[in-house]
Amino acid sequence: MSHNITMVEAVNLALKRAMHNSEDVVVLGEDVGPNGGVFRATVDLRDEFGPRRVLDTPLAEAMIAGLSIGMAAQGLKPVAEIQFMGFIFPTLEQIMCHAARLRNRTRGRLSCPMVLRAPFGGGIHAPEHHSESTEALLAHIPGLRVVIPSSPARAYGLLLAAIECPDPVIFLEPKRIYRASKQAVEDNGIALPLDTCFTLREGSDITLISWGAMITETLQAADQLASQGISAEVIDVASVSPLDSETLLASVQKTGRCVIIHEAPRSGGVGAEISAILAEKGLLALQAPIARVTGYDTVMPYYRLEQHYLPNTQDILESAQQTLSFS
Amino acid sequence: MKYFKLPDLGEGLPEADILEWHIQEGDQVTTDQVLVSVETAKAIIEIPSPQDGEIAHLFGQAGDTIHTGEPLIEFANEEQEDTGTVVGEISAAEPGTSKDSFIIGAAPSSRNHQQVQATPAVRALAQRLQVDLNSISGTGQSGHITPDDVQKAADMNRLHGPVEPLKGVRKQMARTMSQSHAEVVPVTLFEDADLHSWPADSDITMRLIQAIAYACAEVPILNSWFDGQSMALRQHEATHLGVAVDTDKGLFVPVLRDIGTRTTDDLRTGLECLRTDVRNRTIPASELQGATITLSNFGTLAGRYATPIIVPPQVAILGAGVVREHPVAVNGQLEIHRLMPLSLTFDHRVATGGEAARFLAALIKQLEQPFDEQL
Repeated sequence: MSHNITMVEAVNLALKRAMHNSEDVVVLGEDVGPNGGVFRATVDLRDEFGPRRVLDTPLAEAMIAGLSIGMAAQGLKPVAEIQFMGFIFPTLEQIMCHAARLRNRTRGRLSCPMVLRAPFGGGIHAPEHHSESTEALLAHIPGLRVVIPSSPARAYGLLLAAIECPDPVIFLEPKRIYRASKQAVEDNGIALPLDTCFTLREGSDITLISWGAMITETLQAADQLASQGISAEVIDVASVSPLDSETLLASVQKTGRCVIIHEAPRSGGVGAEISAILAEKGLLALQAPIARVTGYDTVMPYYRLEQHYLPNTQDILESAQQTLSFS
Repeated sequence: MKYFKLPDLGEGLPEADILEWHIQEGDQVTTDQVLVSVETAKAIIEIPSPQDGEIAHLFGQAGDTIHTGEPLIEFANEEQEDTGTVVGEISAAEPGTSKDSFIIGAAPSSRNHQQVQATPAVRALAQRLQVDLNSISGTGQSGHITPDDVQKAADMNRLHGPVEPLKGVRKQMARTMSQSHAEVVPVTLFEDADLHSWPADSDITMRLIQAIAYACAEVPILNSWFDGQSMALRQHEATHLGVAVDTDKGLFVPVLRDIGTRTTDDLRTGLECLRTDVRNRTIPASELQGATITLSNFGTLAGRYATPIIVPPQVAILGAGVVREHPVAVNGQLEIHRLMPLSLTFDHRVATGGEAARFLAALIKQLEQPFDEQL
């Protein structure tokens, strides 16, 4: 059955589907129960699946993560919500020192099939610790998967995949586009692959690589380039760890030119890793330096300035044009 | 709504100063009634009420600065709507829907692409020496272009002038012919057709087309496609004839469809259309695809016999040379007849010599009929 829904509704739909499919799936987090979560991602779950499977927790993120690891190691499939990505830092000790290395540490005896969901990114007039994008911190931890959807249909398929996955998955939801558009989403229970990019638009002149909410501006830039007769390929990275370097390389080896767009600070960002892969393995095909359009190396500003911080369509266009005119 | 917030007043202005309230707390207002006058950096603007209701509270007094998105008025007796967050604002979807479309992994065009391989330093060198990297092939380990390759190309350019990379039809011809040479095992049979019985005004091309249709019906294996990779043969019921057309831009082979079932007039008109389209460069790509056998009639130019090259996946091509008067022996007597030299190339991976010979025999038998007995 097809639903015409936003991304946050697609997250809710995938959670419902996963909870129907397996009694082992348990949702926990702050306000996820009767309140339905601050963004309403877990709305109705408590009514449908009861308090034993939809758990309101205290405001203690380290405990949420630790509880999830225990559940996962003993056979449940916890899907924990961290209310904002800015609150994920207390979980890092649990995530980094236990979840990410449980399989390695126990020589394969235990694994940690948990999902940690967190909304992230700016553009919603929230304080700075509700607006940052720290996916690179998490992507740097071996043993974790870090997945970022950018449309309702992909959020549905990727969340199902994250729940099926035997590894711990950090599932980061770009909240700026939580309700930005509605798509027809088929509630068919089919998961998307977890370790691949998605080519959103096929092109031949330049490759635009992005993920999360910035996909919106990236597609707008591709549209404007098309009106100038420039054929841009748009790739949604989707899995920032592990990276699907094959797809990225294939595209850039075709176009020879590339702009990477992300909201997070520039230095040490996932864009830097992608740039390094392209330089290491795609150097011979590059016709222009790899360009990056990113946030700044500063603390995310308060909301009156956040539009100056976030890359916009014009920034992407200017960078693309510089790249295209390089010879 | 419970709170009416300062809307975006256009042109990206972030704030406005309150000049004057036109209503007071406790007033009943109606939709579009002016609530307040504000001054922006550009203009004085009157802000109308978005709804009917009772004013519970005014935020700010004359002279205060209000930022876009901050509350301006609180309406009484209204529930605050659920915006789905405790912090910040999530912008809501426009009405309507879209369908997600994406390719999992790389686009097909990325998987098949071949790009010039050169380091940035080599690209810079090529630019400095004015060498087009597309026009040279690399001798590096992975086929990449080395500084030496660029230097050699630059030397050649200096001594012999620049090269011109092939484009369009010529590039396609080079590719197709190389492919044919690499794959096909060609054998060519030569024979003359005696045109002595023809009326004077016979249309040579039409006679050839009809004879090919006849021969294809007699020996169908030459009217087929062969895939050398999978070793699979596809035999065709209909005969679609590729007709080689020479132009100054290069060789075009438009396809005359279904020659076995059409009248001479229909075929003649069809062929003329194709030729005109080729000359005007208006021929659609679809008209250049799908030939099952090819005719190259170079008899209008020069040359007697040739070894025509098969275009895979086809397995046969017929060449027709210049018609000439030639002495022939008829019942022990010398006579001068008009002869048309024919060259049939077939792919020996597919057809036997016997099949090809029977095809050529059928073709000549049909060609030597007087025109009236043709169909």
